[in-house]
Amino acid sequence: MKELQRLLDRLIQRANINLREINYDATPVIQNLVPLSQMDKFYAFYGISNHHPLDLQFQHANLAGSYFLGKCRVASSLVYKSDVRGDELKKKGDLFKFQKFEIPITRDEGIDIEDSFLVKTLVHNFSHDPESLEWFFIKDTISTHYANIHGSPCDGCFLGPFATVDLTTLRDCIIGAFSYVQAGEISHMSIKPGTIWVRSPGAFNFFYQYDRSRLEKYISYTTGSAPTGIFMEVAEACKEDFQNIFDRVHIEHPVAVPETASVDRYALVKGGTHISDNVLVAQRAFLDNAWMGKGANAQENCYIVNSRLEGNNVTAHGAKILDAELGKNVFVGFNSFLNGRPDTKLKIGEGCIIMPHTIIDAETPLAIPDGHLAWGMITGPADIKTNTIPIKEFAAVSDHFSMGDLFFEGSGRAFVEAFEHRIQHILEANGAFCDGTCSLGHAQFNQKISFNTLQPYSEGDLKGLFPTITIRP
Amino acid sequence: MNYIVKDLMVPISEYATVPVGATLFEAVLALEEAQLNFDRSKYQHRAILVMDDNNHVVGKLSQLNVLHALGADVDNREIKTIRQLDRFGFTPQFISAMEARRRFAGRSLKDICASPAAMKVERFMKATTPGEYVDENTTLESVIPQFVYGAHLSLLVTGNDEIVGILRLSDVFAAVFHAMEECHHEAAGAPSTDKPSGETG
Repeated sequence: MKELQRLLDRLIQRANINLREINYDATPVIQNLVPLSQMDKFYAFYGISNHHPLDLQFQHANLAGSYFLGKCRVASSLVYKSDVRGDELKKKGDLFKFQKFEIPITRDEGIDIEDSFLVKTLVHNFSHDPESLEWFFIKDTISTHYANIHGSPCDGCFLGPFATVDLTTLRDCIIGAFSYVQAGEISHMSIKPGTIWVRSPGAFNFFYQYDRSRLEKYISYTTGSAPTGIFMEVAEACKEDFQNIFDRVHIEHPVAVPETASVDRYALVKGGTHISDNVLVAQRAFLDNAWMGKGANAQENCYIVNSRLEGNNVTAHGAKILDAELGKNVFVGFNSFLNGRPDTKLKIGEGCIIMPHTIIDAETPLAIPDGHLAWGMITGPADIKTNTIPIKEFAAVSDHFSMGDLFFEGSGRAFVEAFEHRIQHILEANGAFCDGTCSLGHAQFNQKISFNTLQPYSEGDLKGLFPTITIRP
Repeated sequence: MNYIVKDLMVPISEYATVPVGATLFEAVLALEEAQLNFDRSKYQHRAILVMDDNNHVVGKLSQLNVLHALGADVDNREIKTIRQLDRFGFTPQFISAMEARRRFAGRSLKDICASPAAMKVERFMKATTPGEYVDENTTLESVIPQFVYGAHLSLLVTGNDEIVGILRLSDVFAAVFHAMEECHHEAAGAPSTDKPSGETG
């Protein structure tokens, strides 16, 4: 395990060099992130299908328990139980529109992970950086438990547990636990835990910051120790069940899956679950007594338990829906936590937008009316008054708006349209509108993915490292 | 006329000072008193120096610092959030509107001023930084960039390792204005006054 230790030391040094200007010492974080003894216990796996490119390169890396799809390169990195999904990368010949520019894509885009340490992290979507369109880089970056790197090239960054960076290029930044950042491009920023920031320069700026004292119950992270709180308890509760899924060669889910739907072989599905047409259930998603209406989806690390989703519901990466009833066309953003109770179901009305990283923990019966925007921490009726607003009303904001801990500047209409456009795109990409032959998406393409596994060295100096491998058709 | 810093500075003995531990109200009184005793300039003093037990300057309290203190009794998490919004790309207009609404709405000026008056100056003063010092024999031309690039309203003047005075932006500007006047009069062939305007009031 000598080489693995050497690699870890190198990653610590790289992180400290990059984050020195914001006085961040990554040493205790990285040393205690995952014991090296865990690194040789799990195989890595990758998908092959006719619908996705196959161009994988692994060099001097540990890939324990991680999944790869599409065009990816991993070098001098530790990628632990992460999902690197290259099924939305740009293809040669595509045209990328940015402001007044239309930029041709000259070669297939690839995800490039170098000198980085990712733990239980999702990497997905494509680079939105107009300066780096064919290269979705993750370099000198540390990403901790259940973070999402979504369409966000990162260089020299630290992502706390359950943090999400979305459609943003980041350089030398610290993103606190459970923070969500979608801001185009940022550098040398330290974002406090529980910060929700969505900015489109010149159009709108949405900012919400959790009260740390209320957030700690859900996620608490102290440098040098493992994250704790309800989020971790829920996320890790099915660890053994998932391990069974990974250990077995043949998996048959205990539910009927229509021809137009897809339930990933690495998803965990329990009885009482119903899968309708055009449903997409991604790897590491967990469904138990879940009714998935037509076109609904559950992305990576989503848990849907004792709940009913009426149809065309987006449950973005990492969202949890427990004991809840969701109307049609409800969008639940990244890592949101919707927690009803068995005797008092949480109800989310049709067409609602639940902002990324929203916590709705129904201590009393709660219902969000149809067509509302919801954000932040909602635990009772008083929070519904300060943390929700009819979408139509929000769209009428022309200059600025503030309510409770939310601060918004710019055009409400631009904000709402941006979200609605994105939700539509997600549903299309996931194949929610498929009629059997047209509008195919992930739900249809993912049905025929085959999986191969990769193993690390099991002893000697190279123990824990995976051999250098290039995989192409 | 060529000036050096000590030609233009206000001696420390004429400047408003308070000890560490003084209240904001005591600081404002000290400023008023210093102004009454200091009549050589039409420009008002705009800051109070905060001194430690050894009579060393440890901070400055400017008029802006005093305004910043108003409403500090509601300096809660909400206000702290608002004050960081500039880092996140919000406009100054938005931030000031939010702060006015959350901090001052529905309160009289008297009410807003009441609590901060009893608070300690250390909470609001700005600690001195290395770029705020200048030697008393420095020429005016040399010190101008220090004002421009440091965006200072005043500098602490040193002599023999002691603070001997304060060089105010207003006095530097008066000297510059005087030099401009001289140039203009010479070009027009007219006689000029011989003192910077800061010394004539």
